[in-house]
Amino acid sequence: MVRKDLSITFMGVKFPNPFCLSSSPVGNCYDMCAKAYRSGWGGVVFKTIGPKHYLIDEVSPRFDALTKEAEPFVGFKNMEQIAEHSLEENLADLRRLKKEFPNNVLIASIMGSNEKDWEELARLVTEAGADMIELNFSCPQMTSHAMGSDVGSNPELCRKYCAAVRRSTKLPFMAKMTPNITDMCDPAIASIEGGADGIAAINTIKSIINVDLDKKVGLPIINGKSSISGYSGKAVKPVALRFIQQMKTNPKLKNVDISGIGGIETWEDAAEFILLGCKNLQVTTGIMQYGYRIVEDMKNGLEHYMEEQGVDHLEDLVGLANKNIIPAEELDRDYIVYPEINSDKCVGCGRCVISCYDGAHQAMEWNKETRRPNCNHDKCVGCLLCGLVCPVGAIKPGERVLKPGRKEKNLKKMVLQETVEKL
Amino acid sequence: MSKKYQEEYEVGFTPRLVMEEASRCLLCLDAPCSTSCPAGTDPAKFIRSLRFKNVKGAAETVRINNVLGAICARVCPTERYCQEGCSRSGIDKPIDIGRIQRYITDFEDATKMEILEVKEPNGKKVAVIGSGPSGLTVAAELAKEGFKVTIYEKEAKAGGYLRYGIPEYRLPNEIVDKEIKRIVELGVDIVLNTKVGEDVKIEELRKENDAVILAVGASEGKMLPMFENNRKVIKAVDWLKKTKARKGNVKVPNNVLVIGGGDVAMDVVTSLKLLGCPHVTDVVYEQFSEFRASKKELTGAQAEGVTIIDGYVPTAVARGGIVKFKHRVIPAELKIKADLIILAVGQVSNVNGLGVTLEKGEVNQKGCRVEGTNVFFAGDIGHGEKTVVYGVRSGKEVAFEVKRFLGGKK
Repeated sequence: MVRKDLSITFMGVKFPNPFCLSSSPVGNCYDMCAKAYRSGWGGVVFKTIGPKHYLIDEVSPRFDALTKEAEPFVGFKNMEQIAEHSLEENLADLRRLKKEFPNNVLIASIMGSNEKDWEELARLVTEAGADMIELNFSCPQMTSHAMGSDVGSNPELCRKYCAAVRRSTKLPFMAKMTPNITDMCDPAIASIEGGADGIAAINTIKSIINVDLDKKVGLPIINGKSSISGYSGKAVKPVALRFIQQMKTNPKLKNVDISGIGGIETWEDAAEFILLGCKNLQVTTGIMQYGYRIVEDMKNGLEHYMEEQGVDHLEDLVGLANKNIIPAEELDRDYIVYPEINSDKCVGCGRCVISCYDGAHQAMEWNKETRRPNCNHDKCVGCLLCGLVCPVGAIKPGERVLKPGRKEKNLKKMVLQETVEKL
Repeated sequence: MSKKYQEEYEVGFTPRLVMEEASRCLLCLDAPCSTSCPAGTDPAKFIRSLRFKNVKGAAETVRINNVLGAICARVCPTERYCQEGCSRSGIDKPIDIGRIQRYITDFEDATKMEILEVKEPNGKKVAVIGSGPSGLTVAAELAKEGFKVTIYEKEAKAGGYLRYGIPEYRLPNEIVDKEIKRIVELGVDIVLNTKVGEDVKIEELRKENDAVILAVGASEGKMLPMFENNRKVIKAVDWLKKTKARKGNVKVPNNVLVIGGGDVAMDVVTSLKLLGCPHVTDVVYEQFSEFRASKKELTGAQAEGVTIIDGYVPTAVARGGIVKFKHRVIPAELKIKADLIILAVGQVSNVNGLGVTLEKGEVNQKGCRVEGTNVFFAGDIGHGEKTVVYGVRSGKEVAFEVKRFLGGKK
């Protein structure tokens, strides 16, 4: 029975484990957050609290899902804005949560429309007992352009609002970034310069997820219309990892604590965010689909991974992969790897041949008699698309050869990919 | 002799296929599968772990609950238990929980996981008589709690019906060996070739140990009076034992008649077919609607080409292996001549010299302890169904009662 300590310190606060609800529909009230804590979540980012003057008025329905083949949720669209409960109710919930769950971390997410709002909200949530604050600079579905992702894509506003919050609280706080921007480092640096202690990334991606073909309206349909709004779920994980990696390797941000968000459902997803530099992890879409219970396997799976890696502190895994993401021009382009076909596993579907011809270099040949593929090395460039489409994992990276005229390296020191199979 | 008999009949899942099957699971709110296992298995939890890529966590869930997890995965009639109420049936068919559990325990074995832990020795000694499902379970559960446990087994190897009954194609002895090895590693001693009541007196064991648990099973086949001393007749358990011990290297005649319709009968008829017997006829007392054998085993037997005749009872046997039957309800008669007749009409327990008496096959005491003594009873001679999974359940229950009995002061 594996038992590893998952506790980790993030922005100076010790979390029993790095898993938190992100500020969203999943942490909307006391009951939800209390259930989440009891289910094993280390922390909660309570749903974003806005200023009194900003009235929430939501649409119905407000979600939609992107599907692919038999998968019910590849990506998820959300049109819900920030907390709809009154400021007083939200502050009362924060107080009660902190009182009843002193060992779990309580993070208040706030969003204002001017400096005064930000100062006021930071003061109120500090008084209510939050352990830290997250500044929501990034919700893409606000009905006010003075709030949400329009702020997060403007570094000067990020700097100004962080400075405002810094003036009114001593709590550590992080700025939550929008991915609807070319370079996240700019607003992140401005936020740190303004006084933020950390960064949370990413919020949702502006999206139109599906269009109803009869009614000619995006989904979800609200009286014949729809809007651009935030996209999340497993499909956004690669986008999140990219932004996080770029921030963690920026000289001005490399020592800044980051809370990773974007499509985390399994311990493997969590480990990827940790290896790219996150000390904290936030989840919404996975919970909306499967419930708070998914934290059980994220925690236990991460413990097993630590055991396999021979690591006693989660901290020891943070950022280990960052150094291995390098500019494309610096990659070793001296060799190619040919596919190796396991004829015992091959069931003769020919998908590798189709993909190689139509999507690669026409190297995979088909024996019509035996109904088995054969790779022609004269044409093969070693892209290994064949292995990715193989439904039975019969194709893996095989013989490695140097390109003509390139110098041989010490093979033992080379780190090569061992498999392309996804399951 | 027969590769088919020696190889597992059902193919295990590959990683991709097990994920496809786990993806069919609806991840129910109040999963019916997790409230219907006699042994307390929580399939909803281990399937969810698998679905979320935590196979090691899944293995922990299976193993901590059931020391015979890899065996149950293979032999349990899951259609009657965890799969019966599966919500997925509302769409198409239940999740193949047994095969998922098998994938998980195979993974546990392949990655050499050591999941079970043993508490500090508590100074108490326990003897277990019999090493079948209930004996192994009670021994392991008590060893985990710090008891010093010794199992006494009359045969040359441990495992009881798991080793000597269930055929190789359904439960390879390699799996039985691995499960027993795990239990031995918990500190359980197994004394082989020792029949309590003959080689060792029960009174001695009662004196030497703080508790004695009878888990002798029902290892002897029943005989029907008309077949007594008939040289063409063999009891099913004896035939299965011989066949498994010889790894299928037994002579199989051309034409075999089997009488009986439980899982033991299904094991016999399917084994015969896998061993190459051309004509296997099974005559069953029950009609199909009231069949006792699991659907999976029945379907397997039929798929192998066994002729199954339901609703007939034997009335007479003549020289040369000619058996006459009559139908239980309709006016019909049947006459079958066979080279070999195998009787699968139930088993009985032998409790000679163990100081207990049986009533309808079960010890005539309430609960699981012989009143006024330190003797407990588990498994087939206890109260409840006579299946492997009930053996596990009984083993766990008796371990709990023994703990309470011996550690009552704490």
